[in-house]
Amino acid sequence: MIAASLYIVVCTARNRVRMRLRRLREPRYLAGAFAAAAYLYFSFFARLRSSARGRRRSGPAAATALVSAMRAAAPALVGLGLLAVAALAWILPFESGLLAFSEAEIQFLFPAPVTRRALLIHRMIRSQIGLLFGGAILGIAMPSASGYSRLRTGVAMWLLLSAGKVYFSGVSLARTTLGSRDARSRRAAWLPLGAIAAAATIVAASLARAFVLAPATSTRDILDRIAAATSAGAARIALWPFAALAQPIFAAGAREYVAGLAASSVVLAAAIVWVLQTDAALEEAAAVAAERRAADLAAQASPYRASRTGLTLALFGRPEAVFAWKAATQTLRGVDRRNVLRMAAIVVALTAMTTTAGRGASGVRAVAGTFALAATAFLILMAPQVLRVDMREDLRHLEVLKTWPVRAAAVVRGELVWPGVVLTAAAWTALAVAEIFAGTSALARVPLAWRAAGGAAIALVTPALVFAQLAIHNAAALLFPAWVPLGQQRPRGLDAMGQRLIMLGATWLLLIVSAIPGALAGAIVWFALRIFVGEAALVPAAIVCAAIVGMEVLVATEALGPAYERLDITAVERAE
Amino acid sequence: MALAVDHFSRTYRAASGTFTAVDDLSFAVAPGEIVGLIGPNGAGKTTTLRSIAGILRPTAGVVRIDGHDVVADPIEAKRRLAFMPDEPHLFEYLTVAEHLRLVSRLYGVDDFDRRAATLLDELELAGKERSLPGELSRGMRQKVVIACGLVRQATTLLFDEPLTGLDPIGIRRMRNTIAARAQQGAAILLSSHLLHLVEEVCSRVIIMDRGRKIADGTFEELAARADLATAGSSLEQIFFRVTGHGA
Repeated sequence: MIAASLYIVVCTARNRVRMRLRRLREPRYLAGAFAAAAYLYFSFFARLRSSARGRRRSGPAAATALVSAMRAAAPALVGLGLLAVAALAWILPFESGLLAFSEAEIQFLFPAPVTRRALLIHRMIRSQIGLLFGGAILGIAMPSASGYSRLRTGVAMWLLLSAGKVYFSGVSLARTTLGSRDARSRRAAWLPLGAIAAAATIVAASLARAFVLAPATSTRDILDRIAAATSAGAARIALWPFAALAQPIFAAGAREYVAGLAASSVVLAAAIVWVLQTDAALEEAAAVAAERRAADLAAQASPYRASRTGLTLALFGRPEAVFAWKAATQTLRGVDRRNVLRMAAIVVALTAMTTTAGRGASGVRAVAGTFALAATAFLILMAPQVLRVDMREDLRHLEVLKTWPVRAAAVVRGELVWPGVVLTAAAWTALAVAEIFAGTSALARVPLAWRAAGGAAIALVTPALVFAQLAIHNAAALLFPAWVPLGQQRPRGLDAMGQRLIMLGATWLLLIVSAIPGALAGAIVWFALRIFVGEAALVPAAIVCAAIVGMEVLVATEALGPAYERLDITAVERAE
Repeated sequence: MALAVDHFSRTYRAASGTFTAVDDLSFAVAPGEIVGLIGPNGAGKTTTLRSIAGILRPTAGVVRIDGHDVVADPIEAKRRLAFMPDEPHLFEYLTVAEHLRLVSRLYGVDDFDRRAATLLDELELAGKERSLPGELSRGMRQKVVIACGLVRQATTLLFDEPLTGLDPIGIRRMRNTIAARAQQGAAILLSSHLLHLVEEVCSRVIIMDRGRKIADGTFEELAARADLATAGSSLEQIFFRVTGHGA
C-alpha cells in the first residue's frame, strides 16, 4: 500500500506541476507567476541579505539580557502553548483533515483489499507535501539571521506541523470511542486524554506556585519564573514532549539542534504509533468519515438548513443588492453552531488564562480591552482572507451567474457588498469595546484625545481597507481562477498554512500600494489642519484617505468587469 | 429570427494543444419553432448551447437573440433567453421559492406571485417551496432549474437534456410544457440523446458530429434526401446513417 501511496503522491505532484507549467502559456498566468516570484524574492530572500548585513553591523553584543531570558524561556513558552492546544483539542471540535478522504480515494481505495490502517498511512504520506511546503514558508518567514538557520527552522517546523497533524487525527479518532462498549477501545481513547489532563494539571500547579506567592515585577521576571517552574521536577517531565517539539526551533548550536531534532522525531514517532495503535477506533472513524462524506455528496455537500432569515428580496432594485441578499442568506443559513461554540470556548479560555496569569480580577477589563484591540486588527487586516462569501465562493456557480442579465461590474461590486458590510460592522464593534476599555488596556498610556481621534480615524478607514482587500481577493479570483480553490476544495488544516501566509503577505503588499495615494492625501490634510485642531485633524485626514481608497475600489470593480466577461467556465480548475 | 447562430466556432485549449469543439456552425430558430439538436457524445451540442447562453465566449462567429449579439450586447440578449442545463446548478443555501424570487428580480418579472404559483403546480413542486436543493431529488432539482427558466417570459428557450432524472409523469408533463411554450411563440432549441423525444416534440432537427453540422431539416426533408433515402424513415435510422454508425 505504501508503494501505491507513493505512486499516487508522485503522480499527483508531477501532473499538478505539469498542469501549472502548461498554464503559464497564458500570458496572464505567466505575468502572475513573475509577480509572485518577485514578491517572494523581495519579501523573503532579499531580506536574507539585509538581515545578514544587519547582523554584521550589530554583532552579538547587541543581545540584551531580556533577549537572553526570552531565548532561554522560549522552548518552555512554546511548549506551554502546545500543551494548551493539545488539551483544548479534546474539548474543541478540531479536525486535522487527515480523515477527510477525497471522493476518488473513497471510490478507489475503500473497496481495495487494504486495511484501514494502511489507508491512514496513505493519508499521512499524502499530507507531507503540504506540510513540507508549510514548514519551508514558516522557515523563510521567520525573522532569522541567515539562510542556514532558516533551513534549520524549516525542518523543525515541518516536524512540529507533522506531529500536530498526527496528534489531532489521534484526538479525532479517540473522541469517537470515548464511550465505546469495547473496553480495549475505551482504554485506548481515555489513556491519552488522562495523560494530557495530568500533564496540564502538573504544569498549571507548578506555574501557580511560581506566581502566587509574589507578583511578577517585570517581563524578564515572568520569563525567568516560567523557565524555572518548567525546568525541574514533575513539570519538566510533563512538558517534555511539547518543549521537545519546540527545542530545535530555538537551538543555539548545531549539537543542540541535532539533539532537539532527535527528541522532536521521537515525539512524532510516538504520536504516529499511538494513532496506528487505535486501530479499532480507526476502523470506526474512517468508516464514519466515509459515510459522512457519502451523505454529504448525496445531499450535495450542503451544510445549510432551511431556516427563516427574515430577509426578503425586493422584486425591483439594483442588481448589487441581489448578491448581498444571496450572500447574507448563505451566511445566516450556514452558521455552524459548533464553530460558534468553538470561538466562544477559545475566547473564554484565553481570557481566563490571561487574567489568572496577569493582574487578577482587576485585569479583566485590561484583558478585554487588549483582546478587543487584537480582534479589531484581525477583523480589518486578516478576516477578508477568511470570509469567502464572494466571488471566491461563487466561482462554483459561474455557470448560473454568467446567464444573468447583469452588468459585469455590478456583479463584481455585488459580490463585495455583504462580506464588506459584515466585516466592517464586526470591526467597528470590536473597536468600540477596545475604546471603552482603553483606559486600562495596552492603550492606557496614550492620551485620551489621541485615543478618541485615533479610534475615530480607524473607524473611518476600516470600510475602505476591508473593501480594498476584498477587491484584491476577488480580482485574484477573476484574473487567476485556476489558482483559487473552490468551496470544499479549499485546502484545510496545518498543511495549508504556507499557502495562506503567502496569500496574506501578497494581499497586504497590494493593500499598502493601493493605500499610498490615500495615505499621502490624508497626511497632507493632517499637516495642514493639526495646527488648528490638534489631534482631531486625524478625523478629516482619515475621511480623505478613506474616500480615495474607496474610489479606487469602485474603479477596480469597473476595471474588473471585462475580466468577469472574459472569464471562461473552463478556466475554473476542477479539483480531484 | 428569435435565435440566429452565424458561423459560430469554439476552440478549447487542452493538454495536447487546442481542439475545436464547434466549427463554423450556422442555423436559426424562428418563434414558435422547436428545433432538436442531436449528435453523438463530443459532437459539440452542449458547447453550442452554453455559448448561446453566454456561459462560453465564441471563438469566432456571432450569436444573436432577437437581434441582440450575445457578446456585444449581452444584457439585452440574456434578458430574452432562458437556459435549462442538463446538470441542475442551484444555490445550496436558497429555497425553491427564493430561487424563483431571485430570478424574477434579475429578469424583472411583474406578476411574480401568480406565475410562480402556476409554475410550481405545473411542475409538481407545490409544497416544496421552502425546501433547499439538498433536500430534493435530482429530478426535483431539475424541475427547479426549469421553473427558474420558465418563470420569466423568455423569447428563446434552450433545453439541454431536459428529461434527465424525471419520472414518467414528469417526462410527459415536460413534453407538454415545451410544446405549450412553443405555441405561445417561444423559439426552442432542445438538445437530447432521447431520439424518440426529439422526433415527437421537435419540428426540425440539426444533427452535429465532431463539431460540425451534418444535417438540418424537418424529418420529411431528411428522409427525402438522396443520400439518406435508403436509411429508413425513423430519426434513429437517419441519425446512425449520417453519423457513420449505421449498418
